[in-house]
Amino acid sequence: MRRAVDGATRLLLVALMAASVINVLWQVFSRYVTESPGSFTDELARYLLVWVGLLGSAYAAGQRLHVAMDLLPQRAGKARTAITLFANGIVAVFSLCVLVAGGAGLVHLAFELDQRSAALGLPIAGVYLAAPLSGLLIAFYALDDMATAWRQRSRPEETS
Amino acid sequence: MTEGLLLLAAFAGLLLLRVPVGFAIGTAAVLALATQVSLGPALLTSAQRITTSLDSFPLLAIPLFILAGQLANRGGTAARLITLAQELMGGIRGGLAHVHVVASMLFGSISGSAVAAASAIGAAMGPRMESAGYDRDDAAAVNIASATTGLVIPPSNVLIVYSLASGGTSIAALFLAGYLPGLLVGLSLMAAAALTLRGNRDTGPQAKRRIAQPLLAALPGLGLPVLVMGGIAGGFFTATEASGAAVLYALALGVAQRELTWRDLPESLLDAATTTGVVMLLIGTSAALSWVLAYERIPEQAATLVLSLSRDPIAVLLLVNLTLLAVGTFMDITPAILIFTPIFLPVVSELGIDPIHFGVIMVVNLCIGLCTPPVGTVLFVGAAVAGTEARKIVRPLLPLVLAMLLALLAVTFVPSISLWLPRLAGAAP
Repeated sequence: MRRAVDGATRLLLVALMAASVINVLWQVFSRYVTESPGSFTDELARYLLVWVGLLGSAYAAGQRLHVAMDLLPQRAGKARTAITLFANGIVAVFSLCVLVAGGAGLVHLAFELDQRSAALGLPIAGVYLAAPLSGLLIAFYALDDMATAWRQRSRPEETS
Repeated sequence: MTEGLLLLAAFAGLLLLRVPVGFAIGTAAVLALATQVSLGPALLTSAQRITTSLDSFPLLAIPLFILAGQLANRGGTAARLITLAQELMGGIRGGLAHVHVVASMLFGSISGSAVAAASAIGAAMGPRMESAGYDRDDAAAVNIASATTGLVIPPSNVLIVYSLASGGTSIAALFLAGYLPGLLVGLSLMAAAALTLRGNRDTGPQAKRRIAQPLLAALPGLGLPVLVMGGIAGGFFTATEASGAAVLYALALGVAQRELTWRDLPESLLDAATTTGVVMLLIGTSAALSWVLAYERIPEQAATLVLSLSRDPIAVLLLVNLTLLAVGTFMDITPAILIFTPIFLPVVSELGIDPIHFGVIMVVNLCIGLCTPPVGTVLFVGAAVAGTEARKIVRPLLPLVLAMLLALLAVTFVPSISLWLPRLAGAAP
């Protein structure tokens, strides 16, 4: 399950990142060569960044790459399991409340008002959609990590 | 004020219990907002602040510079820079430590991230220093401290973040302002290494001074900063456009030198997107917290407080620096810039400090925090790369951190170190 989610996220991230690069290069090219700077590149660049940033941070959460304090000795046992459960619990609650619930609220609002972007006429709801989707992913990874920590609670001296 | 203290306590507690920094900041922001408005709007507003803070064209330069650095590194640029540094610094006592610092600085002129420098240069230099008789923890300390010079030397992700947080200070001017302070930090680190690592009788690689060949090999890689800085300072590119051009250049270079295959491309894109994700979570949640603080008029209160203590620029700069040093120990550099620039910049501006100069002060200052526990991003990465524990590196880091503090003092009180180059280029008043 986790592997499939990882794979799909990876695919989407590579595509979004590649699109960002091509878009910016097109902006430079069109400005210097065709001398008609399309106004859409700026807008597209910004929306792509929202997606790359939020989805990238979800993927990074799955890879446990977000910086956390790491100076206390790595003691195994109950205390460590409790800390892992707590930290991931906070991450899950934050993601579900802010990114998923708050983000879904934004999507709903933008959809109801039929907000569209100035240059391309893209629905703004599609930009905001990055928040609930990433939130779901982050919560999924956090809950999965909690389940793993719970299963391994009795096994001491194992580094994650 | 009591609310503020409660917030700080909650934030510290979350960090202590190993909640990742970005999520701890986000949680603090929501809690602070929820004391002002009801929960529903608080969630909606937080989500909106996080999303819209990423909706920015200048910020896109960050992932693209990260990607350019990735591609250059996979294409063997790091190895060539180390060879060049070796020929430049060979024959000096403690030569390898100096080689390391110079290599990190050269790498910093290509990449905008200290973490990238600590892993790329550290992975190559660590084993070399160890086999030359250096202690592993000493070598890791040199790696960690010198990796931060890349954040001062352009291109620099954190200077882009400062440009945004300060309300649009020119990125071109900030980048130009970073060169000399970055060089100064590097030289201070070399001096400290020469003094403290005296026990090592390593004379460095016996130099026959064949400088021409390694220079020629490294030259195409060093064309990258020329393209980027020339393009930005000359007004041909915005920083974001320059970062796109840098990606293309690094890609073409890697392919031409046959050290980059097309299969590296998706991996590099994914790595860059993931690293971007880590930075963007910090940016989004810090922007949300910063917005809440502004909503509660904290910056005005802080300004009044500071200016009631003193209106002497020297005293205020000292006070600001001390506060930032304390902040830097437990907060990563990106959130610290986003949260504290709106608080301190109005104060120092009122006293006549140039915003370009202040940006450099903040970055040089907060770089020290990246090397210090309890939250030191570069410290953790450097320890992991060297295969040692962060706790053990703290002691050998002390003299290096002292050197960085001295450089910070110079950068703070001699504005021309930062402002001379941008003025020369006509990018600063």
